[in-house]
Amino acid sequence: MTTHVLDQLPLWVGGDLEAAEMAAVDRHMEGCPTCRAASEDLRASQAWTQEAMASPFGAADHARLRRAVMDRVVVESRPRPRSPRMRPSLLAAAAALLLASLTWALHQPRPATPVPVTGPAVPAPAPQDPKPAPPLPHPAFARVAPAPARAEPPTTPTGPTRIEFQTADPTIRIIWLAQAKPLPETESSTEKP
Amino acid sequence: MFPGTQAVLMEEGLSPLPEAPAADPLEHLVRRIRSGEVEAFEDLMARTEGRILALAWRMLGDRHLAEDAAQETYLRVFRSLNSFRLGERFEAWLIRIAVNVCCDLARKRGPAPAPVESLETLEGDAVPMGAEEAVLFHQRRTLVRQAVAALPPAERAALVLRDLEGLSTEEAARILGVRPVTVRSQAASARAKVQAFCARRMKPTPGGRP
Ligand SMILES: [Zn+2]
Repeated sequence: MTTHVLDQLPLWVGGDLEAAEMAAVDRHMEGCPTCRAASEDLRASQAWTQEAMASPFGAADHARLRRAVMDRVVVESRPRPRSPRMRPSLLAAAAALLLASLTWALHQPRPATPVPVTGPAVPAPAPQDPKPAPPLPHPAFARVAPAPARAEPPTTPTGPTRIEFQTADPTIRIIWLAQAKPLPETESSTEKP
Repeated sequence: MFPGTQAVLMEEGLSPLPEAPAADPLEHLVRRIRSGEVEAFEDLMARTEGRILALAWRMLGDRHLAEDAAQETYLRVFRSLNSFRLGERFEAWLIRIAVNVCCDLARKRGPAPAPVESLETLEGDAVPMGAEEAVLFHQRRTLVRQAVAALPPAERAALVLRDLEGLSTEEAARILGVRPVTVRSQAASARAKVQAFCARRMKPTPGGRP
């Protein structure tokens, strides 16, 4: 009988011995119940470790992790925020208002005296547009607005900005109401399932 | 090396990560993400998140900490994706980052608390069991988890990568940044300790000796 191989068994059970050493351990255990029993204990312990350390996470945990990471990743991959930031829907609304005002003004009979300016020519669109227009690059914002003849500051700090344009035709005046709201930092990263 | 990670387990010399198989589907996703297709990162996660969550939990022994670790792992991966060398096995790179994140978190937390038995059920626990069998199962599970929690971090990492993640000694050594002989002896030491820990505490039953 060769000497016991108990010290080598933790390597043997993981297949971490050289081929010749593996064979020597196998040979020894054929004739040694002590080492054979110890190897069986180690094998059982290894199987129990795999059983006890099985992942406790399920599909819902996976999905929650993915959503949390993707929220951050999407925010981080966005171009750096511009200042001031305007909602794309607001830009579209401003453009629509401008167009509508022009159309309305052009269809008015020309009175002898200028039309008094009393308020917006068309109702302002709802600020919460459920389907925002495709995002416009920021420089486009400057192109939407013609060179203003006269721009007045907002009357109240919280109310809409009122901008009036006097065109070359004294009977046509364009009134532009715009409400600028800062965008929230993230739209969805604070959502929790 | 990866920016922002403390390679606690990498002091023994470095070897390159394993090469990717001929057509690594993950590498294809990496190329798409690098070209600006952020949505491809979701596919990358869907293919790997189960493994990373399991790995983090095995390394840390705590569900919430493991979820934090997995999240931090993916954020680091996203931020440093340009430093991944195409041609290497992506999953090995990912696991290496996850192991580093787990080591950072484990160091911050301090020694792992011994897990207490809870009535939470594992996925797949619905197997019908007799009362005695169920008691034995829960006792065994608690003991093994306590034994793993009591291991030194390096031994625990070697055991997790070799016996639970099924990596070869060479692959585990590359991921941990140590020599194969080190992984071999650390894993062996961990196996012996876990077995001895359970054998000392387990009530003798007709079903099993340890
Ligand atoms: Zn013997």
